[in-house]
Amino acid sequence: MTSHWHKKWYKTVIVILLGWMAVAAGRPEVTLEIRDHLFMPSELTVPANTKVKLIVYNRDPTPEEFESYELNREKVIMGGQRAIIFIGPLAPGEYPFFGEFNPKTAQGKIIAQ
Amino acid sequence: MSLARTARICPKHAHTDDARSWLVPALCSAATLWLSPAWADGIVVDRVYDPYVQPLEKEIEWRSVALNDENSDALDDRQLHRLGVGRSFSDRWFGEVYLVAGNHEDKNLSVEGAELEAKWQITEQGEYAADWGMLFELEREREDKQWEAAATLLSAREWGRWTGTANFAVIYEWRDDLVNEWETQLRLQARYRLSPAFEPMVELYAGQNTLGIGPVARGAFKFERARQLLWEVGVILGVTDESPDQTLRLSLEYEFY
Repeated sequence: MTSHWHKKWYKTVIVILLGWMAVAAGRPEVTLEIRDHLFMPSELTVPANTKVKLIVYNRDPTPEEFESYELNREKVIMGGQRAIIFIGPLAPGEYPFFGEFNPKTAQGKIIAQ
Repeated sequence: MSLARTARICPKHAHTDDARSWLVPALCSAATLWLSPAWADGIVVDRVYDPYVQPLEKEIEWRSVALNDENSDALDDRQLHRLGVGRSFSDRWFGEVYLVAGNHEDKNLSVEGAELEAKWQITEQGEYAADWGMLFELEREREDKQWEAAATLLSAREWGRWTGTANFAVIYEWRDDLVNEWETQLRLQARYRLSPAFEPMVELYAGQNTLGIGPVARGAFKFERARQLLWEVGVILGVTDESPDQTLRLSLEYEFY
């Protein structure tokens, strides 16, 4: 009885995890680079009303912070490393972001459409 | 669950005679049983933690609560202050140490103890339906020689410009000459992201002898090199006779890298 219950329980968990992974795997991915304290590209277009996986590579040796109040995200990316930032689902529109350690140069925007 | 205990948390409803009189005491009893397995004299209103950690972040923090309760000498004019210094150790872990001062019995402000705190960000922000983290705290009260350890589940979720945050804490208190006790606390916050300088919030605190709700606001002053001063101020109003009538809460947090 207990063994049968355990088997059902494990199956349920596995189904939920696989479903979760399938949803995560189906998310659109966009890539952004930080180089010489600039975001490249400075404009990114993403699908509206969809959760998006944003991969940010920091090619500079110094850390940078991706920050956007409009996206409700802030993330420090160490020099020479990458970070994953999940954004959205976003309503159609423009969402500015900047690098908080170099705000005068590191600027960009995400366009959801 | 005795009626007397039910009346303490919901005294205005416990003995009403209308047709629905059973419902409110029943719900209150369930809430009381779930939220406060032990009755103690702790101050529940503090702050609501988000589950996020930033690498390289350092901070100096001052948090304070001041209580007002005309019906309780133990709570009236009670103050509690925390001065903390913290830093992150990775992109997942943040640690902070506090000096705790209060005016517990003789009304003079004095150092009451120290506290260690570690926050663990479990999931990436926005990856799942809700974001998750854990907070671990260890506190030593100097005069009573009492220890307190707590593990708190942190969760947050966005709904457009609204962010909901929940903290559920399980606390264990122990000292040599007293019966050790388990406690639970629930802290909830709804925050509207109006602007970086000003965000209105509503917070609810439940646990021990307190059930309170009230308006809170927060904002940030930004400086160069990603430094910022975060402020929070609010008043939590007690909704039961046992709760402090008003708890004023203030915090200032200077973050830098």
